[in-house]
Amino acid sequence: MPRSEALDRGMRLTALAADIRAEWRSGNRARLARVIIALLVVFAAATFVGSIMTGAADASLSNVVRWLLGTNDADQVLTVRDRIIILDIRLPRAVLGMLVGASLAVSGVVMQGLFRNPLADPGLVGVSSGASLGAVLLIVLGSAVFGPLFALFGFYALPVAAFIGGLVTTLLLYRIATRGGQTSVATLLLAGIALGALTGAFTGVLIFMADDKQLRDVTFWGLGSLAGANWTKIAAAAPIILLSLAVTPFLSRGLNAITLGEAAAFHMGIPVQRMKNIAIVSVAAATGASVAVSGGIGFVGIVVPHLLRLVIGPDHRYLLPASALLGGTLLILADMIARTIASPAELPIGIVTAFIGAPFFLWILLRGRTNMGL
Amino acid sequence: MIKVSNLSVRLGGRQVIHGVSLEAVPGALTAIVGPNGCGKTTTLKAISGELPPEGGSISINGRNLMGLKPWELALKRGVLPQSTVISFPFTVREVVRLGLASGATSDAKANDRIAADALEAVDLGGFAGRFYQELSGGEQQRVQLARVLCQISDPVADGEPRYLLLDEPVSSLDIRHQLTIMQLARRFCERGGGVIAVMHDLNLTAMFADRMIMMKAGKIRASGAPRDVLTDETMEAVFGCRMQVSAMPAAGVPFVLPQTATL
Repeated sequence: MPRSEALDRGMRLTALAADIRAEWRSGNRARLARVIIALLVVFAAATFVGSIMTGAADASLSNVVRWLLGTNDADQVLTVRDRIIILDIRLPRAVLGMLVGASLAVSGVVMQGLFRNPLADPGLVGVSSGASLGAVLLIVLGSAVFGPLFALFGFYALPVAAFIGGLVTTLLLYRIATRGGQTSVATLLLAGIALGALTGAFTGVLIFMADDKQLRDVTFWGLGSLAGANWTKIAAAAPIILLSLAVTPFLSRGLNAITLGEAAAFHMGIPVQRMKNIAIVSVAAATGASVAVSGGIGFVGIVVPHLLRLVIGPDHRYLLPASALLGGTLLILADMIARTIASPAELPIGIVTAFIGAPFFLWILLRGRTNMGL
Repeated sequence: MIKVSNLSVRLGGRQVIHGVSLEAVPGALTAIVGPNGCGKTTTLKAISGELPPEGGSISINGRNLMGLKPWELALKRGVLPQSTVISFPFTVREVVRLGLASGATSDAKANDRIAADALEAVDLGGFAGRFYQELSGGEQQRVQLARVLCQISDPVADGEPRYLLLDEPVSSLDIRHQLTIMQLARRFCERGGGVIAVMHDLNLTAMFADRMIMMKAGKIRASGAPRDVLTDETMEAVFGCRMQVSAMPAAGVPFVLPQTATL
């Protein structure tokens, strides 16, 4: 009986909702978090498919799917065109959006956990600027200076350069802001601004030295965009991003403990220094790889984790996967806006995320004045 | 047993602990008292493994502290810091259960019971759903103690005594909860565990401590049963405060009244 089945399912959902509400009242958000993660998986999948189906040009996804399944008897020419648009333009773009969004959001979570502050974000504290400097160094000085790097890493050279830039900045920042195991957030933010300005100045010098073509490359790259997405870029960035994302679940217990302070985390059996080292390297790697392929995309790393903490709480076992999913999804959505709002021209995605993220960030400041730990 | 021999600790280039030796036996509540800046907390931090000693040695149940990994230590002792600020919106239940992750068991039912018992023990039974950041200082301190009790839920495990290291556990509590927490510590000792507590309130210490260690300027000045340590002479020598120590006639527990002091 489909009707009673539907009724049955409805009742089970109502019961689940009641359970979750009761658990929430007793401070238990574990099941809520799992339900939210399941919903985010569905949301991510839907957005992913939706972004492949929309764009300036008409292209039929079903045509391509039938071609992939080998059952296509439709017009051959149209299929080839659809295939190129979908498989070589939109699909890599969606994949890259998912990867970069997930990596930015997760880097935000890890950094905030490490510094015990919801305002720490790779973009805000200068890690992204450091990664940018690494990337711009490579673009401008190019093969003349970095020939060996190209020879050694091939198309990984750009992500590797950005990774090194990000890592150096993160380590410097940590050194400056942490004294005796306590991280001063005011010092962190101020040092981040100073480091950002310094790396920005170096980048400026490089831009001053650049020729016209390099200048164009650097400028467009710096605005942040998924427009140049292709399978080569994905092949360069995906291993680094996926590897650093794969490490983070093992950090979740340590990140939870470190919210009580580094000493308390040690008391609770966490090898704090080792955990911090792993966390810093993975943040630098994920940020570096993301910056290398998509330039400066701001605010994902701060908005996504904050939003999720309000709903499912700060437990990193759930916060990390949920942030990866929501970060990826939001970036794909922002990219859809970027490519359709001024169609057929395209807005750099960094502009869209800044327009959405910056006001949200201000709202966080107004709302949570008391518990920022500053 | 926790055994500290000839411990010296240097902090920021200055030697703050000079040759401290002490023993904390299971079954006994050992209290460390002394004026501000005398090295009580530093000593406790060295015992917890947080501060590396410059000289001397510390052992816990016969094993050198330096040879133990963080997770091994976490199964032998729990540490309550003076105060803990959390900048993320954890609920009380979530904070308390952070202690379970380092505990001995991963059985869900047992863990639920341990966490609920721990909250009851610190008189926060109905607080599981509250947000940590919205609690008062004293309530936060009790939540942290419950978190430590989740980590060290049994005073004895695998035939070995376990220890609570408490840094001013009652400093921001009201009188009723001061008694609750001190009784909790006593019960932990009676069940075979050991407690080392840094204390400020001398009268409370005299009531509950089995052994009292009085420090001044990084050295131990007196140690033993409260009635032997808390005397007119030590009050003046250690605290620089001439006052009269009295005793309750029945139990012989010493007490001091600030009204008797001349500065």
